[in-house]
Amino acid sequence: MSVWKTNDPETRKILYVQTHGEKDPERTATPFFLATAGAAMDNEVCIYFTMNGPQCVAKGNGDKIVIPRKGGNGKELKFFIDQALEIGVRLLVCQPSLDLHGYTMDDMIEGVEMIGGAAFNDMACDADAVIGF
Amino acid sequence: MNEVIKEDQVLDCSGMLCPIPVVKTSKAIKELQSGQILKMIATDPGAPPDMEAWSRQTGNELLRSTTEGDKFIFFLKKK
Repeated sequence: MSVWKTNDPETRKILYVQTHGEKDPERTATPFFLATAGAAMDNEVCIYFTMNGPQCVAKGNGDKIVIPRKGGNGKELKFFIDQALEIGVRLLVCQPSLDLHGYTMDDMIEGVEMIGGAAFNDMACDADAVIGF
Repeated sequence: MNEVIKEDQVLDCSGMLCPIPVVKTSKAIKELQSGQILKMIATDPGAPPDMEAWSRQTGNELLRSTTEGDKFIFFLKKK
């Protein structure tokens, strides 16, 4: 049973992979907003957070991570996370990359789902596109 | 002169940046019945290629894409 939910062959599946976190705030928002646009086009969209990626979906970090902008007025990451969740983008993590940061699932924001490396590879093979950051 | 298209709903996304116009269009079209027309107004310069791609992927027809001053105007027909 795939992590992908759609049975409709017409629905395309896009998998984003986010490897960046707190140290690279300028690299944190784009996967969320591209995923949001993908979901708005009636695709099934997931973002898989690995390496430093889980920091993007750790409780409290949505407000803490601010996407810098020339001239100031950066936007909090939370804005992009909420936008993605609202349109049905699913957020996935795996245990080893949580361990890397001393996180458990309790440290993750509401809605984050746990998968493993096998499920990730299976999803990638079934996806119409896999996009890594 | 183009024939006038009568919209059933208007969505003004002026001043909003990618991906908000796409997200709002997606929500607005879900509220319509099949065959009804949504007029969407945007100022984001990425909107014309975005709406073309959105239409192609979702199957909701882009009847017309025009500009009026700094505004991009789209007529989309719900599939």
